[in-house]
Amino acid sequence: MNKNSLKILEKNRDPFRSVKLTVGITISIIFIFPIIWMMFVSVKPDGFMTTNPVEWFTPPYTFSNYVDLIMNSLILRWLWNSLIVAVITTILTLVITSLAAFAISQMKFRFKNTIFIFFLLGLMIPGEATIIPLYEIVKSLNMIDSYAGLILPMIASPLGVIILKSFFDGVPREVIESAIMDGCSYLKLFYKIVLPLAKPAMAAIGIFTFIGSWNNFLWPYLSILSETLYTLPVGLPVFNSTYSQAYVQPMTANAIASIPVIVAFLIFEKQIVKGISFTGIKG
Amino acid sequence: MNSKKKAWMQDLRALPFLLPFFIAYLIFTIFPIFKGLEMSLYEWNLVRKLEFVGLENYTEMFQDEFFWDSLWNTTLFVILTTPTMVALALVLALLANLNTKLQTFFRGSFFLPSILSVAVISFLAIFMLQPYNGLVNTVLQLVGINAEPFWMADKTLAWVTIVVVTLWWTVGFNMVLFLAGLQDIPESLYEASEIDGATRWEQFRYITLPQLIPIGRVILLLQILASYKVFAQILLITGGGPGGATRPLIQYIYEVGFTKNNLGYAATMSYALFFILLVLSIIQLRSQRSEGK
Repeated sequence: MNKNSLKILEKNRDPFRSVKLTVGITISIIFIFPIIWMMFVSVKPDGFMTTNPVEWFTPPYTFSNYVDLIMNSLILRWLWNSLIVAVITTILTLVITSLAAFAISQMKFRFKNTIFIFFLLGLMIPGEATIIPLYEIVKSLNMIDSYAGLILPMIASPLGVIILKSFFDGVPREVIESAIMDGCSYLKLFYKIVLPLAKPAMAAIGIFTFIGSWNNFLWPYLSILSETLYTLPVGLPVFNSTYSQAYVQPMTANAIASIPVIVAFLIFEKQIVKGISFTGIKG
Repeated sequence: MNSKKKAWMQDLRALPFLLPFFIAYLIFTIFPIFKGLEMSLYEWNLVRKLEFVGLENYTEMFQDEFFWDSLWNTTLFVILTTPTMVALALVLALLANLNTKLQTFFRGSFFLPSILSVAVISFLAIFMLQPYNGLVNTVLQLVGINAEPFWMADKTLAWVTIVVVTLWWTVGFNMVLFLAGLQDIPESLYEASEIDGATRWEQFRYITLPQLIPIGRVILLLQILASYKVFAQILLITGGGPGGATRPLIQYIYEVGFTKNNLGYAATMSYALFFILLVLSIIQLRSQRSEGK
């Protein structure tokens, strides 16, 4: 029996299939409904409010809120900050974790096991519980209220090293040995041969780091003081509380903050989902 | 070349590969643990170190009812979210694994909230739950429920809000993990049971569920660990209120450190959190290892 006919059989056999589909559709709609509502509110005329739920979704629509916010607030700046911080954090994380993982996986040096175990310890140290001393340390490095202070404390990911090491371990010995026989330097071996083979792992860690940085709240909330350096998660609340009872402007701000990630998600859904099941862990 | 010199050469070659990670790791991951210990033994404010106080911060912590209250609130959050999260994630994963044209739609919409910023999801919740003209209350009116719930002002409702919003926001991650587990179950198990005439329920009960136990255990522990770190959505949705009834430990630590200008005591309470999380993650690593993962 091939897989297809088995699946047809399965379809025929499940008496609750339509019930399951209905439940699935209902939950899906509940899950995306708030996001759709946000989009509709963001194009309502400024100051709009209603007690009739249907009216949130009916015209008139306007894009003037978007124009207004983009011109008169720091929101694009915050979007840019979030993006820059997330991109640099991701790149640096990938670079330093892959270099370290390569050394541990492929090079010979003394105390290798001790060093690897020392890195493993990091898995057990929760960033949230060391954030007060971290603040002091970053302060003494003069990096409070700077991009560097946002980025550097987040890049040493022990999980990244572990995942990449196990991936590099899987590179066939013969490939490595013949490259070394040909006089290939370790650096060349690293980026010409080993790294390309580890693309799926790199992509998974990259996506993970990016989402983590994009959504990071606690650390930027503590370490950034000037409004021009806020990232979106820290900036948006300022906005929402300023206009607390009005709906339209805060929702437009939320929409501006969300549209780029939603678009990115729709494009990369498969990779993101794969990346998460790959790393099997979350931030 | 003698062997000692050769070993040195090898070390030297590995150094540039190891050093960038090692330095960042040492400064920002390892050093804070020792720095925190030092801070907890001092009177220490936002500007500088003041005076050595020995274990005074620790005795203060054990007598501080706000510390115990916020630790209990965090624990309550863990108790409320963990079982609901795991159960919902499993249900969503089963739905998202159905063989249907809607599969991508299901997966996408279950996961979509997870990528939104915590500020966005928190303010969506606040605005939808606004009394009098918030969407949820007006819909309640429409279907004939005339209660006008003040979602953030009532202790129980505030917890309901926080838990439901957290489920909606983060269940997608756990669903994806379950989904990966579901796809790892060998097709042959189902085929064999088919031949034996097993019903769908029996297949679920005796194949799917037992096969999901390893990944389920990982999800459970990760969830407990993640929930103990709860902070942002509570701060933004209820501000810890009403009257501190939902304030989690991290928020209290933050307030003591940065509002009350007492970093020494904040570092002390961080240590308490550190030990709770340390024990949990040791348990997690142990159980992951015992699965050979």
